[in-house]
Amino acid sequence: MSTQACAACGARYDYALASCTLCGGALAETEAADAEVLAVTEITVPSLGHEEVPYWCALVRKPDGGQAIVKTERPVAVGDTIAARGSVAEVVHTVGIVGSGVMARGLTELMLNQGHRVVWVGRSLERLEAARAKVADRLGRVMDEDELTDAVSRISLAQDMGALAACDIVIEAVVEELEPKRAVLERIEAVVSPETLIATNTSSLPLDELSAGMRHPERFGGLHFFNPPTRMRLVETVRGPRTNEQTAALMSQFARLLGKVPVPVAAGPGFVVNRVLMPLLNEAVRTLEDGIAPAEDIDEAVRLGLNHPMGPLALADLIGLDVVVKIMDDLHGRLGDEAYAPRPMLRQLVAEGKLGRKTGEGFYEYVPPPVSG
Amino acid sequence: MPAFVIGVGKTRFGPSGHDIPYLAQEAMAEALTDAGIGVADLGALIVANFLGGPNEHQLHLNSVVAGLMPGVRLPSWRVEAACASGAAAIHQAVALLGTYDPILVIGVERLSGLPGAVLTRNIGMAGDVVLDQAQGLNFPASYALVAQRHMQRYGTTTRDFELVSLKNHANAQLNPKAHFHLKRVTQADIDAGATVASPLRLFDCCPVSDGAAAAVISATASDGRSVPVLGSAIRSDAISLSQREDHTTFPAAREAAEDAYRKAGISSADVSFAEVHDCFTIAEIVAMEDLGLAEPGYATGMVRDGQTAIGGSVPINPSGGLKAGGHAIGATGVGQVYEAVTQLRGEAGQRQVAGAEIAVTHNVGGVGGTCAVHVLGRPS
Repeated sequence: MSTQACAACGARYDYALASCTLCGGALAETEAADAEVLAVTEITVPSLGHEEVPYWCALVRKPDGGQAIVKTERPVAVGDTIAARGSVAEVVHTVGIVGSGVMARGLTELMLNQGHRVVWVGRSLERLEAARAKVADRLGRVMDEDELTDAVSRISLAQDMGALAACDIVIEAVVEELEPKRAVLERIEAVVSPETLIATNTSSLPLDELSAGMRHPERFGGLHFFNPPTRMRLVETVRGPRTNEQTAALMSQFARLLGKVPVPVAAGPGFVVNRVLMPLLNEAVRTLEDGIAPAEDIDEAVRLGLNHPMGPLALADLIGLDVVVKIMDDLHGRLGDEAYAPRPMLRQLVAEGKLGRKTGEGFYEYVPPPVSG
Repeated sequence: MPAFVIGVGKTRFGPSGHDIPYLAQEAMAEALTDAGIGVADLGALIVANFLGGPNEHQLHLNSVVAGLMPGVRLPSWRVEAACASGAAAIHQAVALLGTYDPILVIGVERLSGLPGAVLTRNIGMAGDVVLDQAQGLNFPASYALVAQRHMQRYGTTTRDFELVSLKNHANAQLNPKAHFHLKRVTQADIDAGATVASPLRLFDCCPVSDGAAAAVISATASDGRSVPVLGSAIRSDAISLSQREDHTTFPAAREAAEDAYRKAGISSADVSFAEVHDCFTIAEIVAMEDLGLAEPGYATGMVRDGQTAIGGSVPINPSGGLKAGGHAIGATGVGQVYEAVTQLRGEAGQRQVAGAEIAVTHNVGGVGGTCAVHVLGRPS
């Protein structure tokens, strides 16, 4: 939201406009300020985008007379003073993203979309530049030229971790392996302030092992976004054994700021989603191995019978069968449950280099889209 | 140019298994029969609807309705002004007499069958997407803030809201086309109602209904049952409560009422009864004050004294209102005209307001962003 006032006649607008409707005068942004609560209602019915109830909506008035509706997660009372931010984008963070893979790209796109600044650190400047071009390409589909120029100007690329020093939040999204992640986390910690929230986007690695070498593991936790992070609403906010209360609260707050729904989880193997998902994928493969039905029919049955948007075999192809096997092996090792032991057909496909969509074949064959003119 | 309602029709408001074309045709057929004309006699068609797009993925409803009259290619279009769509369409018809005559107005809406959270979001589209929706200010919450402000300023109590609810539910029992015609609502039901958005509880909220209503508007009275439209006015205002100074009144409703009264040559003292937009009980109290039926802060006195009941000095919502009569959003403003016409003709049966001379209808879109007021008189 943009609140503007006319310098000439004083008319106020809650929209970004070129000039005053009434007198044609120039408009200037009004300053964000603390505001007084005039009235408040506790809302106990959920609606799309506001599923968690209760929450509170306050009608507030700022010192300059401007008013706003402000959602709060805690009760506020008439007469209270609260921060009136018109929209989430008015709280701008500098977010550090480490890594240049698919998740790092998605996270960068999400941060820029929400108005934040991104310090993007990777090992190769060339790869970062290519990744930035892909992000710009995606943003260009939803932004006009000015917005895109502004968004891209909010990215700074660096090979040196030192560039992260000014970040409020740093998200590590490098390769899903313990040692590289540990090394990166230690190097991040060496340059940021002790208060900076450091988060890992790991989908399964144990948080206490990741933070073993950190001096302040209490400000470290997991922000497990789902792919693509611009569209998937869930963030598992993972609390490790040493993550403190404040960090846990900050992770939830940040996820909400991004328009996501945080679900706090303990740092058990696979958290919630992968722990529940992997046996389902594995069982779908076994059903296929047992000749119960062809892949298409297994997926169709699960889609319609369980109301999933996508069948398990198609989903495995989307995730990448190598990634699926890796997660299953890890969970199998840590939970010791055979339900997580990758089925032979999964291993076979991976051995054949059929990794799913990314290689053009997995449980299904994928025809590359024709190049459009 | 004079204007008359020469025919009206209305389906029952409430959950229905029928689709939009069926509902629209049922109301249309009744209105045309009532007017004693056929579709071929019509000059134009205006269809009022709010959520056909988000709920049913069906826009372009005037053309859907055109399919109900094969081969008759009328001038037609759809009107949308949130919950005021119906009265906005009536106003447009009145204003266009001289270009088209007679004009059929159909309001139609389907709201049942959607998950609650989806419907709550969709209805919230009547509020600003950034200022309201992004902050979780759904529709009940908007009116809850109005209620909070009214309570702070005038000492209005939740008991006043309960009295409005009980009165409208009692009226609906007398109206066979009301959503809650067959449901007896007692104090115990109200006490058991969960909070929706404090201070509003379940029985402070109108239901969401399926239904349609139709009216045929003409510059010429067709018979002794034609009801004159004495005044028709509409005003709009900024969409969010946060963009208004006073949160206990809707200035757009106030100005529309003043304009409609001026056109009709009446004052608020002349009003026999009113059908007002009580989407929430607080809205009925605000409506009475905006229509000048009570001074600001004094509507509750009339509610407490029973003056707004059917036998009272100014009956409000003899149909049961939106609260108990039902709210088939796009049809609501047209349904209010149906009730006004039926009462003024003396054909309202058990819920007849004795000696009704002047009726006022008051239809609101959003939380006062659009308000349309009509004044109708007794047939001569």
